[in-house]
Amino acid sequence: MGSKPIEGERKVFMTGNEAVAWAALAAGADIMYGYPITPQNEIMQYWTRLGPKYDKKFLQTEDELSAGFTTIGGVLTGKRAFTATAGPGNVLMQEPMSMAEAMRIPTVVVIQQRGGPSTGTVIYSQQEVTLTCFGGNGEGLRVVYSTSSHQDLFDYTIKAFNTAWKYRFPTFVLSDGYQAKMRESVVIYDPEARGIQMVPTEPYVGKAGTPGKDRPAAHLRNTYNIEEELLEVLSKDIEEYERVAPEIIEYDAYNTENTDLLVIAHGVVFRSAAMAVKELASQGNKIGYFRPITLRPFPKEQLRQATQQAKQLLVVESAYGQLLKIVKDNLYGLNIPIKTLLRPGVGITPEEIAEKAKALLAGKEA
Amino acid sequence: MGQVVKIALAGEGGQGVQSVAQILTEAAALEGKEILYIPNFGVEQRGGVSIAFVQIGDEKIGAPKFKTGDIVIALSDRAVRRVKMHIGPETIFVYDASIEGVEEDLPANAKQVLAIPALETANKELDPRVFNVLIMGAVIGATRVVTIEKAKEAIEKKLGYKFEKDPELRELNFKAIEKGIELVERMGVA
Repeated sequence: MGSKPIEGERKVFMTGNEAVAWAALAAGADIMYGYPITPQNEIMQYWTRLGPKYDKKFLQTEDELSAGFTTIGGVLTGKRAFTATAGPGNVLMQEPMSMAEAMRIPTVVVIQQRGGPSTGTVIYSQQEVTLTCFGGNGEGLRVVYSTSSHQDLFDYTIKAFNTAWKYRFPTFVLSDGYQAKMRESVVIYDPEARGIQMVPTEPYVGKAGTPGKDRPAAHLRNTYNIEEELLEVLSKDIEEYERVAPEIIEYDAYNTENTDLLVIAHGVVFRSAAMAVKELASQGNKIGYFRPITLRPFPKEQLRQATQQAKQLLVVESAYGQLLKIVKDNLYGLNIPIKTLLRPGVGITPEEIAEKAKALLAGKEA
Repeated sequence: MGQVVKIALAGEGGQGVQSVAQILTEAAALEGKEILYIPNFGVEQRGGVSIAFVQIGDEKIGAPKFKTGDIVIALSDRAVRRVKMHIGPETIFVYDASIEGVEEDLPANAKQVLAIPALETANKELDPRVFNVLIMGAVIGATRVVTIEKAKEAIEKKLGYKFEKDPELRELNFKAIEKGIELVERMGVA
C-alpha cells in the first residue's frame, strides 16, 4: 500500500473522468458517494478501482438525492467527501445542495453536463449552467468552476476541496460529457510537491467536550420559525459571500484592449473560441476573448473593464442563453451590442466561431 | 495552431472502431505526440453507429470535435450516411467495398473517395478478428500519422496478453497492419 497516490508529477494520457478520480485521490478525499449516470460513471468506476489501495471509501446510494445528502453527512463527520452527477441527476442533487448552502457545508460536486431538458442526450451540453449556479430554493451561495481541459479538471478538482473547506460554501466543478469521455494529456501531481497545502477538515458534529461549556454548540439549522430569523442568517451569509468573492474569482482574457470584437465563452467551448480568436488576431483583426473560470462568483468587474474597451460582444455557448443571461446581468448599465452563437446541446467548432466572428467584424451581420 | 491530423472512424457498434482509435492514439502517445480522442456514443448499449474522433499533432489540441476530417472512414451503410457531414474538399473518404446500397450517399465533395476491400481481405487472406486492425493500417497508410513500428508496439501493449495464449494472433495482427497500409497505397492516395 503506497503512502501517496502520486509521487512528484507525471504526464499521462487519460479520460477526464479518470483525471477527476486521480485529482480527488491526490487532494486526499476520503470518500465518494454516488449514483450512476452517464457521462460521469467512470469517476465512480476509477475511484472504486483506485480508492481501496489508499484506504478510501465509496458508497453507492439509491439515487442522487441520497448521494447529495450522504455527501453532506460525510462532511459533517469531518471527511473530505464528494459526489459527481449529470443531467437529471444534477436536478435531484439541487435539494441536498440547497441544504448544504443553508448550513454552509463544504461539499464538492463534479458535474459532467449532458444534453437536456429531461433525459436529453448522454453526450454533451452546457445546459446545466443555470442549474449548477442557481439551483435550489436559495440565492446561489456557491462556488462554480467551469473547466475547459483535463489539466483544468485535475487542478480545479483539487482546488474545489480547498475552496469549499476554506470558505464553507458548496463548491462545484462544472465540466461536460466531452471532457468526461475524451482522452488527452494531463500532468497529474502531488499537490504538496507544487506547494499546495490542503485545507484541513474538521467534524461539524460529535466534537469532544460539553457544548456550551467547553465549546460552542454545533447548531446546524436549515429551518427557522420566523422570517426575520432567516433574513438575519441569510444576510450574514450573503455579506460573507460577497466579501470573499474577489479572492475566489478567476478568469482568463486575451487581447482585450480596444477590440472590435470580444468573444465570451466558458468550458470546453472556450477552447474553440480561443483557437478562432487567435487565428483571426494573427490575421490582423482587433479581436479578443474573455473566459470566466468561476461562473459563481462571476468576474464582474473584469468583464466590465474588458467590455468598456470593446465595440461589440459575441457570447458563444452550447446552450440557449444561460451564460448570456449571466453576462447581461453583470454588464447592466453598459451600452454595448451583444451578438450570440447559441447551440444548445451540441459542440461548437473553431470554424463556426471564426465564421460568425468574421461576419461580425466585416459588419455583414447585424 | 500547428499541424493536426483529424481522423473520424465510424462503424456499427462491435466493429471495433473505438479499439482502433485506442490503439492508434496509444501509438501516437508512444511517439510523444499530443492527442485528443473522443468517442461519440448514444444511449443504446449496443448497435447504432459508433464514431471515434481522433486528432493527432505536435502541440496541444484545441477543440474536441471538428467539422471536417482529413480522413474519414465508414464501415457500414449507416456509417456512410452518418459521417457525410464531416466530409469536405480536403477529406479522403474511405469505405469498405462490400457495403451495398450507398452509391447515392457517397460524398461528392471529398478530395478522394476510396473503396477498399478490407472485409474481404480480412476474411479471405487473414482472419475476421483482425478486420479492425486492417482498418487501422488503412488510416496509417492514408495519413502516415504514426510509424508502423509504433503501431506494432501499441498493438503489443493492448493485445499482448492475448498473444501469449495464441502467438499466431500476433503475426495476424502485424500482417493486418501492413495489409491495410498496402490497400490504400495501392489505391493511390493523393
